[in-house]
Amino acid sequence: MNALLVLSIAGLAALFSGFSHNKKLAVIVSLLGLAVAFTVNVLDWNTAVRYYNDMIFVDNYAIAFTGVMALTMLLIVALFVDYKESVEVPNAEIFALLFFSLAGGVMLVSYSNLLMLFLGIEILSIPLYILAGSKRHTLTSNEAAIKYFLLGAFASAFLLFGIVLIYGVTASFHIETIAAYIKNANGQPPALLVAGMFMLIGGLGFKISAAPFHFWTPDVYQGSPTIVTTFMSTVVKTAGIAAFYRLFAYAFPAITAEWIPTISVLAALTMTVGNVTAVFQSSVKRMLAYSGIAHAGYLLIAFVSISSNPASSVLYYLIAYAVSTVCAFAVLMVIQHTTGSEEVDGFKGLSKRSPFLAFITTVAFISLAGIPPTAGFFAKFYLFSGAVKAGHLWLTIIAVLNSCIAIYYYFRVITAVYSEGTDSTPVELGTVQKAVMIITAVLAVALGLFPEMIISLL
Amino acid sequence: MTQFLFYFLSFVAVSAGLMVITAKNPVHSVLYLIIAFFAIAGHYILLNAQFLAIVHIIVYAGAIMVLFLSVIMLLNLNKDNEPAKSNVLKLAAVVAAGLLLVTFSGTLKGTESIIASQPFDDQIGYVKALGKVLFNDFLLPFEVSALLLLSAIIGAVVLVKHDLK
Repeated sequence: MNALLVLSIAGLAALFSGFSHNKKLAVIVSLLGLAVAFTVNVLDWNTAVRYYNDMIFVDNYAIAFTGVMALTMLLIVALFVDYKESVEVPNAEIFALLFFSLAGGVMLVSYSNLLMLFLGIEILSIPLYILAGSKRHTLTSNEAAIKYFLLGAFASAFLLFGIVLIYGVTASFHIETIAAYIKNANGQPPALLVAGMFMLIGGLGFKISAAPFHFWTPDVYQGSPTIVTTFMSTVVKTAGIAAFYRLFAYAFPAITAEWIPTISVLAALTMTVGNVTAVFQSSVKRMLAYSGIAHAGYLLIAFVSISSNPASSVLYYLIAYAVSTVCAFAVLMVIQHTTGSEEVDGFKGLSKRSPFLAFITTVAFISLAGIPPTAGFFAKFYLFSGAVKAGHLWLTIIAVLNSCIAIYYYFRVITAVYSEGTDSTPVELGTVQKAVMIITAVLAVALGLFPEMIISLL
Repeated sequence: MTQFLFYFLSFVAVSAGLMVITAKNPVHSVLYLIIAFFAIAGHYILLNAQFLAIVHIIVYAGAIMVLFLSVIMLLNLNKDNEPAKSNVLKLAAVVAAGLLLVTFSGTLKGTESIIASQPFDDQIGYVKALGKVLFNDFLLPFEVSALLLLSAIIGAVVLVKHDLK
């Protein structure tokens, strides 16, 4: 709750810092705001307080995911210092919108009332529609914004319809009351509630870009400014998955038989579609969009073992995915700026131009592919072993096969980095940019070496 | 009487809704949509939700529809030049929507007991009752909506302002 307050105020402060002539002020205010939000958030650890008639319930789950999102956004805001792509909106407005979006994300990880879920999704999304279109005179950016907006509104309608059907049965928006209702009905609730639950799967599936609700993702990710894409594929994905997981862990644990088949098919479909399509992409940005879809598929695997509380595996996976993705996008921003292209060929000869950047790229993509000793490997390991223990062997086999496909396209970038290129001018890196890359790369390896630090949290 | 009104309003709402999607001229579509909104507002009154009915008419039939009409006229869309969709797409849409209809009709089974279990409160639709709920139970959602509106305002400014820097 305190984090929510700090984030809202910091958003306003960032907005007003635009009046100053000092261009760096907005960045400093934002970094400070995020640091304070993270601190007050962590201070609530192990308290589990319910606020405002149980609208939000700040338990350790909420605090852990809020912390991840705040730190990820901190890294992204830091990347803005050396960001060269022309975004036609001043930094102050961009940061304010990012803060409001993050506030929506905080609601999504801590809600205990479906009304807050809906509002959280809207507060998360509306700033993103604007940010996606912030390259105002670029056609692809306009396309991204309008596509995201229209399809997002459509998905929200499904979500709302689902909430209404559930309310119609249980006369409550409160997720624990809904769970109690289902329990009282001996796990045999009216079909109307189950229909509402499936509508919710559709609405939330859109937000995390699960197949077959993923069609917006590649175009929106490619059209948006790269730094906004970074935010979408890390913070927004974390919020979406955490909200999805919270809903099923708190409201529907008593009717797993109804939704586990659907979710496992959704997971298998999502990772297969994401990975197979990513193989055919020549643009790295688009490839990372499809890889984001695939990672959403892996994360959905956690849902089948929900009775053994895999929340910490989800948390660990999202952290591993976030640090590797921020790192990969940070490199992509540099490549985009120096070569003017986001194609795989743009990475050619990078090892000659900047050995440091080549090494960072290797670490990021190895972690995304899930190869030890990086965090990506253990993240996959915990999720898959949870599914095996819950008896979903077929799903795990599909996931492992998919991981093999993923190695192919991630390594295409790595081989391009170490192949001969035409350009041999050294790459200049900003100090902050370099620091973000080092931090994320070190985290990707360190979390892989000490996974217990995160796994023991929840 | 209530039952007759219910069937009459439903008939109006459904047929106006069908006309919205079959009318070739966008202006006609919008006008049919207004009729549909009025019929739905009538349903709200039948359900004892007077405040919602009025807000529905003011916001949807009033504000949003006027906006629709002015956009159509500004963009000069009032011609029937809607590009024809392919037959496969139409068939797919009909099958998908039909399946949804079947699913929802099926789920209505067994809902009679739910209706019977909810107590009837004739005060529930009034502004006073609504205000009490809004500022007691649902204070936080009410307050955080401010973030939503503020983001929308910022968005409107940054997306249309001519010279930002």
